Amino acid sequence: MRILTKPIILFGFIAFSAFVLPSFLNEGPANPHFKFPYKQAGLTERQAAAHLLNRFTFGAKPGDIDAVLKTGAEQWFLQQLEGSLPDDSVTSLVASYDVSKMSNAEISSTYPKGAIIKRMAVQDGIIPKDSVNVNKNDAVLRAKMYEYMQSKGIKPQQELFKQFVNQKIYRAAYSNNQLHEVLTDFWFNHFNVSLTKNQCAEFTPAYERDVIRPNVTGKFENLVLATAKSPAMLMYLDNATSSGTNSSTLEQRDKLERLRAKMKPNDPRKAELLKKIQQSKKSQGLNENYAREVMELHTLGVDGGYTQSDVTQAARVLTGWTVKPMGKYLSGNNRAADYAKERLAKAGVTQDGDFLFVPFRHDDGEKTVLGRKFPAGGGYEEGVDLLKMLAHHPSAAKFISKKLAVRFVSDNPPQSLIDKMAKSFLQNDGDIKQVLITMASAPEFWGKDALREKTKSPFELAMSAVRGLDATITQPYALYTWITKMGQQVYYYQAPTGFPDRGQYWINSGSLLNRMNFGLALASQRIPGVKINLKALNSNHEPESAEAALKTYSQLIMPERNLEETIKRLTPMLNDPNIDKKIGAAAEKAAPAKPANMNEDSMLEKGYAKAGSPKKAGKNDKAFASAQTAYGNNSMLAQVVGIIIGSPEYQRK
Amino acid sequence: MTSRRGFLKSGGLALFGIGIGGVPTFLARAAETEKIVKPFKKKKIMVCIFQRGAMDGLMAVTPFTDEYLKAARPTLFMTAAKGGGRTTPLIDLDGRFGLHPAMKAFEPMFREKRMAIVHGIGSPNNTRSHFDAQDFMESGTPFNKGTASGWLNRAVGLLGHDAATPLRAVSLTSSMPRSFYGDNPAIAISNIQDFGIQVRGNQNGAKLAARSFEDLYDQASTDLLKQTGKESFDAVRLLKQTDTKSYSPSNNAVYPNTALGNSLKQIAQLIKMDVGLEVAFAESGGWDTHFNQGTESGIFARNVNDLSTSIMAFWTDMGAYQDDVTVMTMTEFGRTVKQNGTGGTDHGRGSCNFILGNDVNGGLVHGKVNPLSVENLEDGRDLAVTTDFRSVFSEVADKHLSINNDGVLFPGWKGSKIGVMRS
Repeated sequence: MRILTKPIILFGFIAFSAFVLPSFLNEGPANPHFKFPYKQAGLTERQAAAHLLNRFTFGAKPGDIDAVLKTGAEQWFLQQLEGSLPDDSVTSLVASYDVSKMSNAEISSTYPKGAIIKRMAVQDGIIPKDSVNVNKNDAVLRAKMYEYMQSKGIKPQQELFKQFVNQKIYRAAYSNNQLHEVLTDFWFNHFNVSLTKNQCAEFTPAYERDVIRPNVTGKFENLVLATAKSPAMLMYLDNATSSGTNSSTLEQRDKLERLRAKMKPNDPRKAELLKKIQQSKKSQGLNENYAREVMELHTLGVDGGYTQSDVTQAARVLTGWTVKPMGKYLSGNNRAADYAKERLAKAGVTQDGDFLFVPFRHDDGEKTVLGRKFPAGGGYEEGVDLLKMLAHHPSAAKFISKKLAVRFVSDNPPQSLIDKMAKSFLQNDGDIKQVLITMASAPEFWGKDALREKTKSPFELAMSAVRGLDATITQPYALYTWITKMGQQVYYYQAPTGFPDRGQYWINSGSLLNRMNFGLALASQRIPGVKINLKALNSNHEPESAEAALKTYSQLIMPERNLEETIKRLTPMLNDPNIDKKIGAAAEKAAPAKPANMNEDSMLEKGYAKAGSPKKAGKNDKAFASAQTAYGNNSMLAQVVGIIIGSPEYQRK
Repeated sequence: MTSRRGFLKSGGLALFGIGIGGVPTFLARAAETEKIVKPFKKKKIMVCIFQRGAMDGLMAVTPFTDEYLKAARPTLFMTAAKGGGRTTPLIDLDGRFGLHPAMKAFEPMFREKRMAIVHGIGSPNNTRSHFDAQDFMESGTPFNKGTASGWLNRAVGLLGHDAATPLRAVSLTSSMPRSFYGDNPAIAISNIQDFGIQVRGNQNGAKLAARSFEDLYDQASTDLLKQTGKESFDAVRLLKQTDTKSYSPSNNAVYPNTALGNSLKQIAQLIKMDVGLEVAFAESGGWDTHFNQGTESGIFARNVNDLSTSIMAFWTDMGAYQDDVTVMTMTEFGRTVKQNGTGGTDHGRGSCNFILGNDVNGGLVHGKVNPLSVENLEDGRDLAVTTDFRSVFSEVADKHLSINNDGVLFPGWKGSKIGVMRS
């Protein structure tokens, strides 16, 4: 028990702050000017609250429906859009993480890429030059490397990524500003970058924190501009390296070529010139990757009416947009010191945080994109103009509205709804908050075709279960392993499309079985670092039988749903007269550690199968509780709850 | 619409019953007598590998005599000439095309005429969007986004005999590929070893949970959950018959420890288990080489090395099954003829693919690659698509799996085949 003390104190604190700062306490913004048409759709207030919580949070916690009713559904929604409820408990959980506070430059200095560390270690004579794959096998060299990194104050990148994942789980599980977390997840996925790409990985934590999160309910244009200028996106879609084919360095190159042509064949300077020409060729040229994806995936959509020529021209407009070299460990002509502000200003470079616009890498010829002419001689501003044009384009209004509707309403949202949202988008200057209000006030949001029509993503499934069971998380990472197994390796989706947001993608044989296994593992406390107290969920009342457990806990975990069918299907199986014995016997075998002087077998029988009514509690009750602890909740109750979480009904939201 | 679970109707799985333990009774009985059970007749198997991200076909199989290409790729062009400045030259296939040296594992197959290459293959739709192009290639309808089913799923429906197994079409991926969407039974498994309901150290608990889940999913109100649940449990029962954990490949085949290597290894396992597999699918990633794609070493070289050594490990492992198996690669499009400004290539049009099998018209680079010049390029920049991917896919499906209803396999397509398979 000794080792558990710390987490318990921590959790005491969380529980305490959750108590002092109930989820939706604030009076929040002014009175809503809209009304949710759920009554017209035949829903009760409670059903409406459940639907709101299903779609705009990572799952209802016990008591959340009452809280929504108390605040009023519309007011609650406004509060969530505002996203300024006190969140001290989450803040304190993630406060110690480097990902919560470090700038990109600090991260680059503290968590440099493996190749950089290796290069330094070779230079400093720590490891031999030819030991390319040392850290895989050689324990001695590995220890040396470890010591070396410690002495330099360097940490492995994996640690950074782990923190990054952990903070996401903590926020999704515990933040009071749930909609902001949901939207952060949505927009990150929309403007996807990936830890699989080495060049952008280190910039990804700050990308979510500084580029996505502050903009999730603002103007769409801000998201487009902020992502376009972020190191993560500039590296992920290669725009940082794209440069003009008629930029000045190219002219210099041509000058070199002319010089070479004039030289006599045996001129000794010729070799050197050739080398220079080769080098300048290497760093010159257009890369269309970002220009294409910003149109196809970020703004207009693939059918948004652009052509290959628009892609090439847009890429030219966006040349010169790049990333400031950062961190301690830069070499040669990339030394950060060389990028001192005065020097940059002198060279005509525009700097904005980590973003640089480098005029001599920019193609300043004339371009035409989507019929709009960008005259010759333009600079940084023409890129901004282009992105603004894309962000406000009618195709973007439709594309973004549809994507939001797919996330929040159904895999196949009705065109009437998309049209309303697109209209709202254009009328409100791409204001995301207004578009979401339009969506949630539309009858389509509350219609039969929308209710429980969405399939939870693996991340959503895990978070909703953790929230619904009021779980205490001490180590978030084990959850991540499960989420990955269920088919969603968060932050590692390689393609710029982001995870497809539809049931057909998430549900397949392998992932479905893992969802079921996840339910069983979570409920029986076999996920390290996640604690649950099933009895506490039911105000410490113990269900009298498996059947009672099924009824009670289905209602607790899936409030306001019609669960008749689920209960009907499972009841006969749970009434198998021998089932308690079977489970009990199996549980004994599986028990991780047997406390001395206890007969668990009989305790489980007494504590569970023959517990009788809650009135008869006392001794039996206590025995049951300790049996639960001893078996890590590996009891019939855990099994029932595990099956509920793995059930088809629970996969929907 | 045909029922997705047609194999159930046909009675194939009735054999298994729904034994409490999850193990089909007849298999359990057979296991007792230690007999090897082969309930399914040996079938032909088509293995498809999708290279997501668009492989640079011009670097995989280079027309190395082409001066235009040489000029367009100052740092990426490779030659077959020894001592041409490169440490490792291309493998000269026929005097015109050179195989990337990191794919040397393929060379013997090409020389033995078991491997064919199609160059200039692609889609008639000139989209350069990964997503759209993959979607079109996998649905098999390049101009129709509304097609709900994937071409491999339709292929399964055209096999012309009753399915007796849920493992007829298996994708070794964590999610169902677009090619497999549709009404015919198909499943996705990322790892056959942990495919099942697991309650660690608690057999009874696992059994009870499995039964409960099976019952619940049977009643699920959405078709997606219901069908997937059904297929999952049927497959779980079937896979239980073999110890999937201790697999050792035949003929000393060594699979690279990569995603593709592991997928192909598991496909080999399934084939040797004789569980009725007929269409298998695997993926390979990392082909979107916009940046520093490298030449004889680097990103591209690593990718093609993985591709070729994985496939060759699979082929070696197949041993006695080689006559039954054909492997075909595919990728959504090719890459620009000119290298871009960052040592890579952007999205292009035509690429190439590889077909391996004993019934393949091998040892040839099929298709048509015109001398590269501005007027021969598509949109003045890309290797032109001269072979519709459907003419190759349909021919392989026809000759290897005897699927000859092209109207269903590729609705709306009326092209002809180019002879990649021996007739």
